[in-house]
Amino acid sequence: MATATKLYKQSWHALRQLQQYRTIASGNASASIKSRNELFNQEQKRQRDAVGRVEKIEVRYLGLPEDVTLVMNNHISTPYNCAQHLSEGHCKRSALALVDGSVPWDMHRPLQESCTLQLLNFNVSEPHVVNKAFWRTCSFMLGAALQRAFKDEARLQLHSFPGPNIKSGSFVHDIVLGAQNWEPTKAEMRAISAEMVKLAAQDLRIERLEVDKELAKEMFKDSRYKSEQLPSIAQQNQSRVTLYRLGDHIDISRGPMVASTRFLGKCTILAAHKVANEGSTDAFYRLQGVALPTGFSLNHIAYGLLEKRAQKLNSARLPNEPFEEQQQMQLS
Amino acid sequence: MNQADVSKLMSQLRIAVRSNKRNLKNPDGPEGRLLKLRKTVTALVKHERIELFYNRADEARGYAELLISNAIRHGDRHKATMELADYWLLEKQLVHKLFKVLVPRYENYNVSYTRMFKAPRDYPGIYYRKSVLELRGNPYPVLTQDNSQNRNLLHNVLLDEARKEFRREKLASLANKLAAETEETPKPTVEKATEV
Amino acid sequence: MNVNARFLTNRIAQQCAYKRIVTFSTKPTEQSAAAAVPQQQQQQQHDAVAPPVRKPIVPAHYRFVYPEFLPDPKVEWRNSIREKLERLDMLNRRRQIELPEFYVGSILAVTSSDPHAAGKTSRFVGICIHRERCGLRARFILRNVIDHQGIEIVYELYDPTIQKVEVLRLEKRLDDSLFYLRDALPEFSTFDEHMEAETLEEGTPVPINELKVVLRPRPWLERWERQNLRGVANIDQYLKDKHRKSSEKVQKPWEKYDLMKQYRATIPEEEQKEIFAEVHTELHTLELQRKRNKRKRTFVKPKHLA
Repeated sequence: MATATKLYKQSWHALRQLQQYRTIASGNASASIKSRNELFNQEQKRQRDAVGRVEKIEVRYLGLPEDVTLVMNNHISTPYNCAQHLSEGHCKRSALALVDGSVPWDMHRPLQESCTLQLLNFNVSEPHVVNKAFWRTCSFMLGAALQRAFKDEARLQLHSFPGPNIKSGSFVHDIVLGAQNWEPTKAEMRAISAEMVKLAAQDLRIERLEVDKELAKEMFKDSRYKSEQLPSIAQQNQSRVTLYRLGDHIDISRGPMVASTRFLGKCTILAAHKVANEGSTDAFYRLQGVALPTGFSLNHIAYGLLEKRAQKLNSARLPNEPFEEQQQMQLS
Repeated sequence: MNQADVSKLMSQLRIAVRSNKRNLKNPDGPEGRLLKLRKTVTALVKHERIELFYNRADEARGYAELLISNAIRHGDRHKATMELADYWLLEKQLVHKLFKVLVPRYENYNVSYTRMFKAPRDYPGIYYRKSVLELRGNPYPVLTQDNSQNRNLLHNVLLDEARKEFRREKLASLANKLAAETEETPKPTVEKATEV
Repeated sequence: MNVNARFLTNRIAQQCAYKRIVTFSTKPTEQSAAAAVPQQQQQQQHDAVAPPVRKPIVPAHYRFVYPEFLPDPKVEWRNSIREKLERLDMLNRRRQIELPEFYVGSILAVTSSDPHAAGKTSRFVGICIHRERCGLRARFILRNVIDHQGIEIVYELYDPTIQKVEVLRLEKRLDDSLFYLRDALPEFSTFDEHMEAETLEEGTPVPINELKVVLRPRPWLERWERQNLRGVANIDQYLKDKHRKSSEKVQKPWEKYDLMKQYRATIPEEEQKEIFAEVHTELHTLELQRKRNKRKRTFVKPKHLA
């Protein structure tokens, strides 16, 4: 057992190193990503070590096939671990957990106390919470996809994404690009969509981490817009900031998000609207797309209607509007 | 390169047919195999939904489909079809059901008459795959999840909103048109309005 | 004398047997034939204006007349493109040579190129005892007894060395293949080389010859008692109890109920319709042409003689 974990750790480190080399190879922006990931790893490790003596909690699982009580480890076990006790199907299908019947909880976030637990998928009778988490994850993934899709020369900076609003018909990510008159072609949009699909195919786990303000500032010191936003975000949440990571992409978000990128089924990125000029060379752009969870099939005509609607400019708060107004929606 | 048998004429099945049969192991050979399948077909016609091992269900499905399609094709006045029904349905009251209930039900179908689902296998248990075989149009509640009814599902929310927006736009354009008309020719629209 | 008696019994048998055995007409009815001619004319008229897309009405008997146009039902060997190309080739061949309708039990005369024969052609008259294979590979076996020696020749229907196929007597027998003629007395497979073609009236169904052959005593080439032959008269006299028992053992009475087995051995009706719809117009024009030619020939012939 011990050798197995050792081997696993070694291979994990090797993979990390490989990723780091790869990121080193591609310039300045990736150096900041690398340091951000390192800080994230360190903090994650620190938090895991800080658990100390393992305490047991009783988790009451409600749902199919039957209600059971599971004895889990406090601050270590996640809803995903509970699902592992139930069946493989539960692990695969559950996108989000519901703690104590009302609090949406990420599948990979350690449980804090004894509670009841429900596992949600996209087909439950009241899927508002999961849908919202899915829409938010789509925005987050769009950020990751954009970072993969653009070269360094494009001077891409992720700005933020407004809170998920499914009724608006599209999920959104606001960015700043080093070009004031970018008119995206269809092929470019398709390339970004393809990145999204690739992310979904990679089945990346979405990790959640709560850090304090200073560390978050340290992590996002290279990103101008993020560091501008950080103080007000921290202020709302007792100077704590919630971070999410997907592969090597880290972003600030309130959460919750779905368990994995695997849940993204059909997805199209449709439009990039120019919002405003930023400085003399840069400009704000709003990227929009529409997506369905895996397992939902929609005929192409209906989906075409959704696509058409998603091309219109989303009415969510624009990135160049004053930051203070967005109290309730801020970085979702 | 064998010649196709032309003495029989059968209508095309609407299900995927395996290229070869399964032997469904049993000591009595092909006759025993058919007896097994007769029991399954009889049960299917009787209960309209049965749960059984996948292989047997898949084999029996073709026979049930052909039996029904033959019954539809030739009706109950055709001697050979009656013989077939007599052979395949072990309980004789089901022959009546086949011709009087199932034939009218399926006459105008252009899909298969049966459906088959994979069913979960209980663990630990026999390792064979299981399945559910049912006749279409049976009186039981459906097995598949109906995604079209729950308006809260993601795609339904999106579609509903799209529909609303379309209506709004339509109304707005109508209003604009009306406004434009009133500006241009105020009198006729007034008449129209009174008509309405 | 013998022949006459056979004919008489044939006629009588036909009258009582048609309805029982043949539930379809193997020939186009007069109405449909009459309907086909104006259709042709219409088509010619239409060709001048604009060819409308119209679905040809394929007669139901086509699958008996042209069984080789149906592909092998074995799924692993199906290939729609190959099948289509083969059908085109078959039609091409049929444009070159008249390949008439015939069945197992019909008496045929086949003239084929033969480099060793005097005059480079050889003509063989015999009874068709078997038809097999499909597509371009379709073939049949002719049997005759010549100089007390049984002769069988396998001809491929679409073989380019075949120069002429004549049907001397169009009829069916009681069984689907007549291999038992090999073990029957020679007179049952002896046919006159200079036999003249017998004409059937237009529109009559293909007669079934209910002749029962007399088998030689054992040893036989096959165990005929196991094959439920209907065209054998005296098989019982050669059977002992052990033969009866063993033949009972190998019977498969359930096979007629094995629907899926039949399904896998046939081409479904919808598919047949598609296939014949593709070749129907061509085959039909060829048929009409042949009829016209025949009429001409019958008209011309006496002149030549005179």
